[in-house]
Amino acid sequence: MILPIKNNVNCSIKFSADGSEKEKKVLEYNHDTLLNNNPATNARIGIDKLTNAFTVYPAKGLKGSKNANFYEFLTMGEVPYLIGSATLMAVFNAATKYFAPFARSKAAPLGNKMALGVVFYALGKSISKSFISTPVNLLTGVDTERPYAKVIYELPDDVNDTDIISIEHHKVFESVEFPRWDLLYGDETKGEKRNFRYDKIAKRLGMGHDLKDSDQEVKPRIKEIIIKTSLAKNISSYLWAATGVALAFQKPWENYFNVMTFKFWKGKEFLKSLQSFKKSFVQSAKALYKGEGAGITKHAGKILLGASVLSTIIGVANAVSSSQKPSKIDAADVIKKDDRYVVN
Amino acid sequence: MTTGLIQNYIADRMPKGHVQNKRNKSEEHGQPNKPMPYFNIRHELDNKTFIKPLEGKGRLLNENIFNAPAIMVKDAIYDAKSLKHAVAGNANDHELGRINDIGLKLGGLAIAGYLFTKKQTPMTKGMEFIGLASFLASMAIWPKIAIQLPAYLIHGINVQKQYEDSFGRKKSFYQDPQFIPWDLYSDEEIKKMGNRLGVPKDIPNRRDAIQEKMRKIATQNNTLWMLTAGFATPIMSALICNQTEPYLSKYLDKLQNKKADKIISNLDKYSEKYKTNEISKNLEKIIDLYRDKPVNAELKKLLNQTFTNGMDLVTAEGVKADLKMLLDDTTYEIDEKTAKEISKNLREKLSEQNFNKEFIRQIIPDEDKMIQIFKENHFMNQKTAEKDLGTISQKILFVIRNNVLSYNESMPEGKKEDLNYIIKLLANNKEKNHPIKKALKKVSGSIFNSRIIETLKKVASLMDDFRAKTNSLDEYACIKVGAAPETVIANYWTNTQKDLLKIIGISKKDIEKTHFDIGVIGKLVRNKFEKIVSDKKTYLEVMDKIAQKISELDTLIKPSDISASLLRNGGDMPQGGAKTAYESTVDAVFNRFAKAINKTGFKQTAKTVAGVNPNDNVGTLKNLQKAYASDRLLGVKSSFLRLYNTLYFYRRVAEKPNDFEYLQYYTREGKEEIIEFCKQFLIDGHSSDYATKFYMPRNPHPSEDRTPLEVKEGKIVNAYYGKTEELADIAGDKYFYQDIMRTLFETEIDDELSNILDKHLFIKEEFENYRSLILNKIGGEKYFAKPRHMVRPDSHAGSELKFNLTGIAMDEFFYKAAQQTYNTNKWLKMFAGFGAGLLGVTVLTQFFFGKMKYNRETGKKQ
Repeated sequence: MILPIKNNVNCSIKFSADGSEKEKKVLEYNHDTLLNNNPATNARIGIDKLTNAFTVYPAKGLKGSKNANFYEFLTMGEVPYLIGSATLMAVFNAATKYFAPFARSKAAPLGNKMALGVVFYALGKSISKSFISTPVNLLTGVDTERPYAKVIYELPDDVNDTDIISIEHHKVFESVEFPRWDLLYGDETKGEKRNFRYDKIAKRLGMGHDLKDSDQEVKPRIKEIIIKTSLAKNISSYLWAATGVALAFQKPWENYFNVMTFKFWKGKEFLKSLQSFKKSFVQSAKALYKGEGAGITKHAGKILLGASVLSTIIGVANAVSSSQKPSKIDAADVIKKDDRYVVN
Repeated sequence: MTTGLIQNYIADRMPKGHVQNKRNKSEEHGQPNKPMPYFNIRHELDNKTFIKPLEGKGRLLNENIFNAPAIMVKDAIYDAKSLKHAVAGNANDHELGRINDIGLKLGGLAIAGYLFTKKQTPMTKGMEFIGLASFLASMAIWPKIAIQLPAYLIHGINVQKQYEDSFGRKKSFYQDPQFIPWDLYSDEEIKKMGNRLGVPKDIPNRRDAIQEKMRKIATQNNTLWMLTAGFATPIMSALICNQTEPYLSKYLDKLQNKKADKIISNLDKYSEKYKTNEISKNLEKIIDLYRDKPVNAELKKLLNQTFTNGMDLVTAEGVKADLKMLLDDTTYEIDEKTAKEISKNLREKLSEQNFNKEFIRQIIPDEDKMIQIFKENHFMNQKTAEKDLGTISQKILFVIRNNVLSYNESMPEGKKEDLNYIIKLLANNKEKNHPIKKALKKVSGSIFNSRIIETLKKVASLMDDFRAKTNSLDEYACIKVGAAPETVIANYWTNTQKDLLKIIGISKKDIEKTHFDIGVIGKLVRNKFEKIVSDKKTYLEVMDKIAQKISELDTLIKPSDISASLLRNGGDMPQGGAKTAYESTVDAVFNRFAKAINKTGFKQTAKTVAGVNPNDNVGTLKNLQKAYASDRLLGVKSSFLRLYNTLYFYRRVAEKPNDFEYLQYYTREGKEEIIEFCKQFLIDGHSSDYATKFYMPRNPHPSEDRTPLEVKEGKIVNAYYGKTEELADIAGDKYFYQDIMRTLFETEIDDELSNILDKHLFIKEEFENYRSLILNKIGGEKYFAKPRHMVRPDSHAGSELKFNLTGIAMDEFFYKAAQQTYNTNKWLKMFAGFGAGLLGVTVLTQFFFGKMKYNRETGKKQ
């Protein structure tokens, strides 16, 4: 029988069987901890997840470890994404060098564009999420990307297994059904107001300040915002990704491919390559917008770009607008004092 | 869950009247009441019994091919609902997860859609969507064939089992190893799977042990899936595309061909598509601006632009000439502006020659003086005919002459100016630079009146219609024989290239060995040919197959639609042969247009479009339209006929090398040289070789040896050729050229080949005509350096015809074919190999999954 372990208690449980304290892992966190949403933290989390996705989790998974879980499975989703991108690039380019010169000269730019398309797809998809989350955060105060570190106590493999703590990086609002409300409460022992984060959101949402139970007031609104933001992100990010691919398929990139080099130690050449990238990027963006030919062919780029921008704007607008009208029924009318209620 | 219970409770506690009301309402709407769950919270609470959770409604899903469509529909409905909920802001996690899938597909469609618009041909357009579909399919298929199926075969369990939870949410059974809804499997089912998994039967807690093993296998397989999918999906997708392409190509080819046939049979209706009425519309704008105003240079320019926009230069010249005829009535308006300008022009002319200002001022009449001159001679504000312009010029020059004379009188000797010089300076100019005439001709006297406008409107409408029709004809010709990817002829060419590689026995290994050196490929091709002809049976088979391949083109592009008329009997005549459908249509459209436009007075245009007589065999637009199609076809057919002739000659050499009629007079060395030249020329000769009358370094003093030639395995065993040094091109030897031409193209077709050709009558006709055309057209070509080197009288054939008749050189033909095959092959080998390896490793790994040891005491893993 596995007993639940309370997370929010400052305890350091020792699971060592032989008591060799020296080998004990220094714990970064010993309970679920709210983290800041800033580039440094996000980078650290990203690297941590990526490393685990390629090392620890596959090892656990391939062994069929009893501690393998859904989070690890999802995190491993990075692996096919990255390998797939690389393979896709290879599919279009690997055979090119064996071709006869003329065929090569025709195949190479196309292959390069495909490869660039893969890169821009990934960039477009990931960067564009902030096009939604940042304005939503600014307008509502709800940071849908707020990360936290979750401490997992695993089952030991055997009696000598002392390394049983694993840390997962989640987002406070990654589940709409079970957001980690608890992490957003202030720590009164540190002099923080219990509801200070909720107060802020309530104020930003225009629900007034100095609310008695701001947390209860804003939670339904937050849920709605999370759902709508998630919808907006899911739709618009793929459209931005598609825009990225379209951008990669513009002719001006061919100039860049001619001078492209990743040999950063060859200072001058590399600098030239970077400059050319910048120039080609601008020209390609223009080419995408302007288009060539007539009719739909000419305007396809504009339409795609427009769809991406529009999906972002509509997405944000939908996310910040509330469908919940303030209830006109007094709570006293709903709950009758004489009745018995089941409370969790 | 809790809230659900509370709501139940509240609902139950509602005053009876309220409940009654509600029921009545729903009955009024004709909806039956939803049955209450058998669980009654009121009852439970009142009796203070233990509250049990609601019974689960989850179930395992069995998906197979038969219920897949139904499931797809169900999923789509679920997705739509998810979207609706998300927009409203009340979706759950599962629904939001589905929206990610929707986004993925939407993004994919956006990419395919965008690239679709960027691609030129239906094939490449179609492949964009196939690419997307294959990618999505690969994402779904790979886990099924590389994970699910092998795991099932090895372990007997479905590791990708899906279930639906109590809320109708579809999930993967093993997605979270920490939460597997085991209760959905009955004891019986688990037991059965346990037996298949080889879990000992005599251990306690056997169900737990089986479940543990199943979980382990599933976790391992899920991980394997994640590790392999990245490699597998793009490769599988690419392979699917690669395999689908030929089918799509075939399908689209047929579709295109049918579409083209419809164009020609329904030209009037089809050309509506191209009817933009651009000329008429632009003309309207011009009319609005210039109606009843004098025709000036600007208007002429506008009209020229409007009517000749996008037109070929020759026809445009005709149109311009006709427009000029219509607009110019050769009278000019003379007014104050003209006077001012003449005065200014004259002064400028003199200042250029550094005459002093005072002198110029004195001799050149100023504006008022000029007006006076015009008025005195009744030119002012009058329409003046061109012939009278000279008179005005004379009058002005006369005034200037008098002015100079009077100036000179007042000046001392030495300061007098040379009158003759000045008059010459002003009068001896071309019209464009003439200081007086230039200004006089500036404003045309003709008015853009209703007569001109009506004519132009008629012409514009005719031209709009004509343009729409020629665009449709162009489209037809392009689909059929266009020099573009994926036209009927291009597809035929590509396919035939591939087939011919097989027919003449060039293998993938051969191709790899050539390293794309065209010289090496030439040698390879020659060797293959020699090998084929050395064996009668093989030779006849190959010739039959090639004839079939050539005649295939006639089924795709019917000779009654478009034909290389020159290759047909009687086609060489100016009015020869029956007209093809395309030719008749072109004739009809062009002649009708020419006739109609001729009536409006646009005679030059009519002439450039259709000539003077309906069957004029000159460079009219009509003949160009026809020639494009037949020339393209001629080029392609000549290439295949050249291959045919090459093999035929090789066979003759292999079989009867000493029987060549035209080589009887040569010594053995001479024969060896000529045959070698013929063989090599057929492989790599171009039209330039014909033009220079066959340059070949030969032995100027050949050996007198007249022993017969020897042949071994299709090759001549050379006794002399290649062994003599000091070779030179013998420029004066006209027989060299003539005998080669005759040997290659005039030798009779032997019975062997005749028998085969009798099966393919069209090819026979074309083959014979091809050979005689080369003799007549190319053999009658004059070359200044070797003037008498001809087999026929001067043919005056154009270089285009000679080029088309020469066809593609055999080494080039197979070089290109080899390249295409090689590229596809190289790629396929690389990735199909990798894909197969990946599949192998993925499957093999699974044999090591699920290994466990059991403790017979506790049933737990040791």
